[in-house]
Amino acid sequence: MIDFTQATPVLLSEERQITETRRELVLNMGPQHPSTHGVLRVRLTLEGETVIACDPVIGYLHRGVEKLGESHRYAQIVPWTDRTDYVAAPSNNLGYVLAVEKLCGIEAPERAQYWRMIMAELARIASHLVWLGTHALDIGALSVSLYTFRDRELILDIFEKFCGARLTTNMMEIGGFSREIPPELPGMVRDFCRYFPKAIREYEDLLTENPIWLARTKGVGIVEPEVAINYSLTGACLRGSGVNYDVRKAMPYLLYDRIDFEVPLGTHGDVYDRYLVRVEEMRQSVRIIEQCLDQVPGDGPLMAYESNYVIPPHETVMTTAEDMQRHFIWVIKGFSPPKGEVYQAIEHSKGELGYYIVSDGSPIPYRLRIRSPDFVNLQSLPYMAQGAMLADVVALIGTIDIVLGSVDR
Amino acid sequence: MSDERQQAPVPAARPREPWQTGYWGPTNPDEHPAVIAVRERFPEAFEEAVDFRDEMTIRVKREALREVVAFLRDHPELRYNHLTDLTAVDMLDLRDEPRFDVVVQLYSIPRRQRLRVKCGVNDGETVPSLVPLFAGANWLERECYDMFGIVFEGHPDLRRILLPDDWDEGHPLRKDYPLRGYRDYVQPGFERPAPRVRGSLPRPRP
Repeated sequence: MIDFTQATPVLLSEERQITETRRELVLNMGPQHPSTHGVLRVRLTLEGETVIACDPVIGYLHRGVEKLGESHRYAQIVPWTDRTDYVAAPSNNLGYVLAVEKLCGIEAPERAQYWRMIMAELARIASHLVWLGTHALDIGALSVSLYTFRDRELILDIFEKFCGARLTTNMMEIGGFSREIPPELPGMVRDFCRYFPKAIREYEDLLTENPIWLARTKGVGIVEPEVAINYSLTGACLRGSGVNYDVRKAMPYLLYDRIDFEVPLGTHGDVYDRYLVRVEEMRQSVRIIEQCLDQVPGDGPLMAYESNYVIPPHETVMTTAEDMQRHFIWVIKGFSPPKGEVYQAIEHSKGELGYYIVSDGSPIPYRLRIRSPDFVNLQSLPYMAQGAMLADVVALIGTIDIVLGSVDR
Repeated sequence: MSDERQQAPVPAARPREPWQTGYWGPTNPDEHPAVIAVRERFPEAFEEAVDFRDEMTIRVKREALREVVAFLRDHPELRYNHLTDLTAVDMLDLRDEPRFDVVVQLYSIPRRQRLRVKCGVNDGETVPSLVPLFAGANWLERECYDMFGIVFEGHPDLRRILLPDDWDEGHPLRKDYPLRGYRDYVQPGFERPAPRVRGSLPRPRP
């Protein structure tokens, strides 16, 4: 039996530590390892096959989005947010534009808010599909990824129909949407909602009762609820431990207070519970999208054009002098929100995504802080991995659901 | 099991203002329970409480940051038990002293309320680390040190996190750090290295 309290942190220079009582091996996993979902590097200290210390090394994809945000105008930052978490780009757009709208004190029209919810929930499903496919692939269930990526294509087709891009969508703007909804889009989303619950049953047939999957996930990486709160976990990592915190319910943004949906909670806080929570979240997302499609007005404005913070509509720019001048000023100088600071959080597919913006009254944010959920969630990896087997580390990295673009920003 | 497991009560319906997308408590600082409690308990350390867009910010002295956050976490009626975010802002262009603001976003899972706690710190001064209270503060403080050079006293493992360990060009999110960095870098296919120091972009004024 190993005494875990005796495990000492390993310095960079030490490669191998051999003492009289134990032999420790420092194993470097990544940054080009296929199961680390990008460029995560994990320095593992092993004794035999048991992990006694684990140190994630991140930063290989650091591009300085926060620094870039301090040198661009408010409307120019929306494309940068796509690049942080690139598997759920519309959610990132949503968090940023909601923060700027809160700072300016404007609100998008109702129809735009419904479509924002639909796009954010589609992004959540797409992100969970990537997670499910790669997570199962890491643990050894190869065929699940074929099914999930097949269905993710349908969502990307919807994004492509709406804004022309599949991955870095840049679809939301401050004040709403600048593009009209294509007439065939509601039908596409309806078809997807009709089809997708059947697909979830397919994934569950492959995994939920699979004895190999159960052996690899049950009882692995247990996080108690108190520990989960103490580690600032959010999203499915927190709800898998049974703590009921979903930003959509706790502090509703957009029109989530009009939607009827449930927040799935786990009981044991292990890898299997987090899997069940995310699969159930996909079902609830379909429910939310269907209700949004029922409630969304078919006609109406998509942009809060009456506000001075929003670019004027194209027709009036071409016909009236005032709006032409406003358009010119908006494009050349940008708009200046009032002085102040706001923090806006949304429920991203990985947890709570927060944007903290400090404005000094100039057209450029004074400080743009991105509280990315997986950066905070990833620091619980050493806690989960201590005492686990080497092969379980792969399952643990998968269960946190990281995208390194979002971790490193 | 702890009470967070049960459904927390849903807040009552409230008038929907454009920025009222979340609930931060009363907008008047004199009525906010957290402000009243902190002002009573820490009369010397409490500096001010500001409300903007219904978000309450408490500013305290930096020496008392850990005590104030521990008080807010353990208070039986406040229970701000979730450290949502910890970051800093370089206030170089906005005021003389202190140079940085350390910003802590707290959230109360049972009460569904947010609160922001700030403290000012100068270059070279230290801030008490929050790692003894919240394990989640570990990487957030490391990132803060990496990007701003703020030292957190009592942090168990304060080293760079996003930048390489041997990064010697300073702390990039400081306002005096140029956007393109300090050094030239080699351009493949060109004789001369690309100039990196061109000053920061002109900052338009309102």
